[in-house]
Amino acid sequence: MNVEFKINDFEGPLDLLLHLIKESKMDIMNIEIEEITKQYMDYLDLQEKMNLEIASEYLVLAAELLEIKSKMLLPRQTVEEDEEEEDPREELVNRLLEYQAYKEITKVLHEKESLRREIYTKSPENIKNYIDEETEINVDVSLDDLVEAFKRYLARKKDNKPLKTKVTVNEISVSSRRHDIKRLLKSKKRVSFFELFPVLTKEYVVATFLAVLEMAKSGELTIKQEKAFDDIICEEVVR
Amino acid sequence: MKKAVLEGLLFVVGEDGLTFEQIEDVLEINEEESKELLMELKKDYEDDNRGLRIDFLGNRFKLTTKFEHREYYQKLIENPETNVLSQSALETLAIIAYNEPITRVEIDKLRGVGSVQMVRKLVAKGFIKEVGRSDLPGRPILYETTSDFLDYFGLATIEDLPDMRDFLEENEGVEEDNESDLYTSKYVEDELN
Repeated sequence: MNVEFKINDFEGPLDLLLHLIKESKMDIMNIEIEEITKQYMDYLDLQEKMNLEIASEYLVLAAELLEIKSKMLLPRQTVEEDEEEEDPREELVNRLLEYQAYKEITKVLHEKESLRREIYTKSPENIKNYIDEETEINVDVSLDDLVEAFKRYLARKKDNKPLKTKVTVNEISVSSRRHDIKRLLKSKKRVSFFELFPVLTKEYVVATFLAVLEMAKSGELTIKQEKAFDDIICEEVVR
Repeated sequence: MKKAVLEGLLFVVGEDGLTFEQIEDVLEINEEESKELLMELKKDYEDDNRGLRIDFLGNRFKLTTKFEHREYYQKLIENPETNVLSQSALETLAIIAYNEPITRVEIDKLRGVGSVQMVRKLVAKGFIKEVGRSDLPGRPILYETTSDFLDYFGLATIEDLPDMRDFLEENEGVEEDNESDLYTSKYVEDELN
């Protein structure tokens, strides 16, 4: 069996089925349901073995194929004479034919698309300066109306603002905080632990806390607390 | 004089294009005259010494460059953009264009796969738009192609799409329709052959 095409190469189950029909040189108007169902199922199995995810749509068509197959196997019911016997494949064949037509048309569209890309138009000119800016002001407008209008204008302005915003990541490193603390201790000798956190962002607090711990460990400062819940004092260690 | 004004108008509106109604309103002429004027200007542009032409794209008259000069424009661009629509986008658009107005569920059925994302993408690109709701249970939204869709594929009107029957029966019946020079967009003419 042809494994050249992976499941993702197909646009959907109809695309896959058309491909299989073409591969086995079947007439679309006279599909050998048993054979094509087998091929279709084998193909899905193979894709699954290759660890490719199969969208549920493919399984829906698999179920349809199996249903048609079973209907074909059942002995034909005796139909009333004037009624034409319905081929269980008919609905599927019609869908395939229609889908195939759209697929063919996409080739035309694709061609037209590339041709159209060869010619250019330009953006319209800005002719807003011809718009009459003079606005007559109704006399019975209260100050409240004006304020209200201005509020609405501001709200609209806000909506017009592009959603884009600049994101700057200000990286705070432990070493930079260490450096800052060292300088602070040099000038002040002793500071309250809480003074070390002028900025209360998560990154800042974490970096500062780690810096204090590291400095205490390496003996650059000492941490003292007189009694529980008292202020924590950091002192410079002069070496 | 009015022909010159029309030329200026076409320049000003650019890709937005003009409809007959607009031309009639602005120039204060009737339909007959506006058609005549456009035809004249269109003829003028056909001259080899002119770099632009009048095209009928997406139901509007637009001033465009000439197809035969494409190689020179290409030289202007350093990195030619090859950003074309995907197969699934083309498929979905074809299905909508031939069945409009159509609901998403109907699109899904014809494609055999779900199209929620694709429909959303095409709406965002301005190729299709919502045009109301179907009377079916749940009153699903109906979609239709836009004039931007027509323009993107160089089509004058929706009738410019190839006949679906030609593709259903796999016969090679090619019909030539030359009834009106004005309403068709034939920028390709015979350069392709």
